[in-house]
Amino acid sequence: MKNLLIHTPEGFRDLYQDQMKRKRELMNGLHQVFERYGYADIETPSVEYFDVFGADIGTTPSNELYKFFDRDGNTLVLRPDFTPSVARAVAMHFHPEDKPYRLCYQGSTFVNSREYRLNLKETTQMGVELIGDGSVKADAEVLDLTVDMLKEAGLGEFQVSVGEVDYFKALLEDSHLSQETAEDVRKLILNKNFFGVSELLEGCQIDAGIRRAFVEMPQLFGGPEVLDRAEALAVNEGSRDAIARLREIDALLKKSGNSAYISYDFGLLSKFHYYTGIIFSAFTYGSGEPVAKGGRYDALLGHFGQDAPAVGVGFSIDQMMNALSRQK
Amino acid sequence: MRYLTIALTKGRLASQTLKLFEKLGMNAEEAEDKHTRKLIFEDDKLGIRYFLAKGPDVPTYVAYGAADIGIVGRDTILEEGRQIYEVMDLGFGRCKMCICGPKSARKALVSGDLIRVATKYPHIAKDYFLNRKHQTVEIIKLNGSIELAPIVGLSEVICDIVETGATLRENGLTVLEEVCDLSARVVVNQVSMKMENERITGLIRSMKEVL
Repeated sequence: MKNLLIHTPEGFRDLYQDQMKRKRELMNGLHQVFERYGYADIETPSVEYFDVFGADIGTTPSNELYKFFDRDGNTLVLRPDFTPSVARAVAMHFHPEDKPYRLCYQGSTFVNSREYRLNLKETTQMGVELIGDGSVKADAEVLDLTVDMLKEAGLGEFQVSVGEVDYFKALLEDSHLSQETAEDVRKLILNKNFFGVSELLEGCQIDAGIRRAFVEMPQLFGGPEVLDRAEALAVNEGSRDAIARLREIDALLKKSGNSAYISYDFGLLSKFHYYTGIIFSAFTYGSGEPVAKGGRYDALLGHFGQDAPAVGVGFSIDQMMNALSRQK
Repeated sequence: MRYLTIALTKGRLASQTLKLFEKLGMNAEEAEDKHTRKLIFEDDKLGIRYFLAKGPDVPTYVAYGAADIGIVGRDTILEEGRQIYEVMDLGFGRCKMCICGPKSARKALVSGDLIRVATKYPHIAKDYFLNRKHQTVEIIKLNGSIELAPIVGLSEVICDIVETGATLRENGLTVLEEVCDLSARVVVNQVSMKMENERITGLIRSMKEVL
């Protein structure tokens, strides 16, 4: 007990001298990329009302939020993630006619995860939200920006893995599986369980084409050839639309010269429920977790009273710093 | 070429995994030698290196990316709850996670009384009683010889792995409820799966073939 005075709480830390200098330089460089793409800074408060991150928005589980009360007894939280905050601010302050908005942010996020794995509970994030543009051009812009950010950071080998949540959603809708089985299928696919889905669906009443797609999905990741494999398995309109969209994005990325960094993964199903179209994560050696996560979330702004399509990405500066120091 | 690093669980699972490795054409002789003091073994031809670790540490090595692949029991995966891909059931090391105790404890399990559960797996036990049975229990974490607990009156029941049930019978205990099936699984680090996709997928496919 005697040392509590000089220690930081578990999951929080001081940053100083060399490390702080490297972090500052990294963030300055990254911010220049935001500026080059024409994104304007936005600052939202660290504290929000609980409902901004509530269950129907589907972000961080309630028991992993830092919660406290204001004088009137309202529940407040420390933001675990920027996207809902930015969406709220946009719905409140911006005129729908001025769309699209290009916004970038940087700051701390707080997640009180119960596991003591890897995690800092306060992490620095930087990211962008492109709001009011539902086109594939917007998807490709955010992916291009992601690749340029990782290049700017000086990461050698990295990969941006892109999925489409509508592919799975569309197939699931036509599968008529019970909610329980559907959740099990989702988990097995997310876990990349190569043989688990076929075992689970054995003896289930389900369309043969959809069954084949579900069985293949855990292994449906890799280079652009995966799009062909996924298309061959797409048995309904929704899933074919998802592929068509990814193909358009792929073509745009080829033009910008960034397609070498992109791979596809149809098993990428986030636990954040707000994603509606593309979803992606960036990986590199030296960091056991993704250094960036992003995707399209066309339904989120509607929750705050202004319907608008949107796509964005967030970078974990701490994971980037880890990867950079371990790759040397 | 970068080595693919594999973490194996020490003990029973290891010998079966090493047999599997031999079928894949890997040199596993060195690791099978019980007197070796080496900690890590390499197969330069295949670009693979592997080491033996205590069960609960295997998901840790994999989650941090210190090992790309791990071979570990499902009990450990559930208990540790880390973010790793669980890609394949190897089918060996089959057993069950069960709630066991003297026959007289059956009453306590249905009565909804506050009972004590001794276990090496507090997370699994807590999840079973709270989320599946909706029963409030006191979990007592032990590190071995769990069967002792109900005999000496430390707890009413235990939550433990049952293979043959011989130890239970010898001590006058019996399986009261089954929690889940267990067996050896292949787990993979999320980043490795992407960065070394072809090599890892290839390895998993060839494992499936020789099983």
